[in-house]
Amino acid sequence: MQQRIQIRPPRIWTVILLLGIGLFVFALALFASPAQAAPSYQEDKPNNDFCLACHQEEGIDITLGSESLPVTINPTQFGLSVHSEEGIACVDCHTDISDYPHPTVKATNTRDFSLTFADSCKECHEDQYTKAHDSVHQIAMDEGNENAPLCSDCHNPHTQGRIIGQESGQLTIAARRDVPATCAQCHTETYDQYKNSVHGAALADGNTDVPTCTDCHGVHDIDDPTTASFRNNTPALCSDCHDNPEIMDKYGLSTEVTETYVADFHGTTVTLFEQQFPGQETNKAVCSDCHGVHDIAKVDNAETGIALRENLLVKCQNCHPDATANFPDAWMSHYQPSPEHYPIVYFVNLFYKFFIPAVIGGMIFFIITDIYRATINRRKGAKH
Amino acid sequence: MNKVTQVYQRFPIARRIEHWIMMLSFVTLGLTGIPQKFATSSISIAVVQALGGIEVLRTIHHTGAIVMMLGTAWHILVMGYSVFVLRDQMSMLPSLQDAKDGLQAVLYNVGFVKTYPQMGRYTFEEKMEYWAFVWGAAVMGATGFLMWNPITATQFLPGEFIPAAKAAHGGEAVLAVLAIIIWHMYGVHIKRFNKAMFTGEITEQDMLHEHPLELADIKAGLVDRRPDAATLRKRQMIYYPIAAILTVAMLGGIYGFINAEETALETVPPISQSVDATSAP
Repeated sequence: MQQRIQIRPPRIWTVILLLGIGLFVFALALFASPAQAAPSYQEDKPNNDFCLACHQEEGIDITLGSESLPVTINPTQFGLSVHSEEGIACVDCHTDISDYPHPTVKATNTRDFSLTFADSCKECHEDQYTKAHDSVHQIAMDEGNENAPLCSDCHNPHTQGRIIGQESGQLTIAARRDVPATCAQCHTETYDQYKNSVHGAALADGNTDVPTCTDCHGVHDIDDPTTASFRNNTPALCSDCHDNPEIMDKYGLSTEVTETYVADFHGTTVTLFEQQFPGQETNKAVCSDCHGVHDIAKVDNAETGIALRENLLVKCQNCHPDATANFPDAWMSHYQPSPEHYPIVYFVNLFYKFFIPAVIGGMIFFIITDIYRATINRRKGAKH
Repeated sequence: MNKVTQVYQRFPIARRIEHWIMMLSFVTLGLTGIPQKFATSSISIAVVQALGGIEVLRTIHHTGAIVMMLGTAWHILVMGYSVFVLRDQMSMLPSLQDAKDGLQAVLYNVGFVKTYPQMGRYTFEEKMEYWAFVWGAAVMGATGFLMWNPITATQFLPGEFIPAAKAAHGGEAVLAVLAIIIWHMYGVHIKRFNKAMFTGEITEQDMLHEHPLELADIKAGLVDRRPDAATLRKRQMIYYPIAAILTVAMLGGIYGFINAEETALETVPPISQSVDATSAP
């Protein structure tokens, strides 16, 4: 008893010190964003060189059921990864391994094996992890689609480079350019459309002004894009860039597309409708109904461009099946009416611009004279 | 001047009902139409939301339009009876005299002439409003048809007529609403609260002030001279079949106006994109 009492004080100091270090690390973890320095979970953990001593050997794999899982890690590639750069240890994710021989892998196929790491990233990337768990991908996973993406399907933890600029805090240009290829792993049909679209083709040419997948769909908290609310929000989505003169002026594109859309019947309806019923279907056209979704082409494209009336008519007929050749001109193609474009509309507006003040002004003039006379007559006590 | 208690019938009940129909449909159309023209203003948004959304608002607007079209058809039939059967004076027809009366009224008001114009059953102010309404109804009806039936319209007209119709419909609406607020309000409510359109009656004193020539005609027995029974019946026998055909034609026209086409599908075809999930790494 006495002996134990004697050695208690140093223990308290140790605990306080450890707590202090723990708090300091925790605070660091809070402020380091988005990827936080991984706290060390294993005392005396084997360092990466220890693991790579075996795992750099080419062609090694383990057998899971009828599938084989390659377990080779290229040390050069891993060395270039952000995880290596940040000093993350293999065993920070492979927490069940501390020595050789390794414990037996229970997974019966490679997907099962990946799924056992579904929560690994949460330790450091909780924000992204939480967002991803609110996404359409997680819904698919919850509905039993085991092929729905895990973190590691988009971000191979052994090779993932740094994608957030350390100074800018933004996605790097190189990373932006690589986004579609990541999504294309599953969304092949969509990617095929996108890569030939005006946006996708420009991205491939190194133009990072154009939207990649994540600019419209979000990054981790990707919503279901087939919902009414996503569709109703389309004009706001497109106008993020298309109303921005900093981007549009470079390409000579109009920044009045939203304004002219909202001024038109379709846009007026969608705008008003969305304010009250954001989650309900409307049958009025939004941007994507005419311009396409992933296959957006230049409007003056010689083959598919909707500046050509016959191409636009096909779009009109999606909702207006009985529409004929003159019908597309009922839509003013994002033009403000002018003597050159839609002159009848321009001159009708011009007519009322003068006609209304003329008529109403005449009426007011007469009324003022009438009130003037009535006032004078009342003073005189006379009547007309 | 001492027979102030003497009253005359100015508007029979049928005309007063007509006025109610037009008034209610006009107010409905204005309240549901102006917010569509100024759709982005917060007042408009509030009105649209209060009435249950833009689709409900449009349905109310269309209903108001149907009521006004029916009211117009009824007015045409009543006017036909008045003109062709009763052979009433066409006292609402505008004439050069109305322009002279208007000019004289202004000159009197500003003090250049000593007397206010003496006018008959309808003053130049009333005629102006009536014909403005006729003009407005024609413009709104024609442009409304183009917007209601754009597919039918563009089979015969350039597509640009549709947004032009929308522009004219909106411009004319602003003009009509302002004219009612300014001209009608002043003329029959502020200048003097003229209840003739509600009670149907007007006092002799007001007749003397506002319609002295009509009063003179009444005193002279020139007004409301009805044809004798035999002539009346003969004219009715001619007018009624014509009116019946006209009625069928007008109702058919209104029906066609409403049902000319199925403009758009109720639901937009969904976008489907396949996900090649089997290729997941």
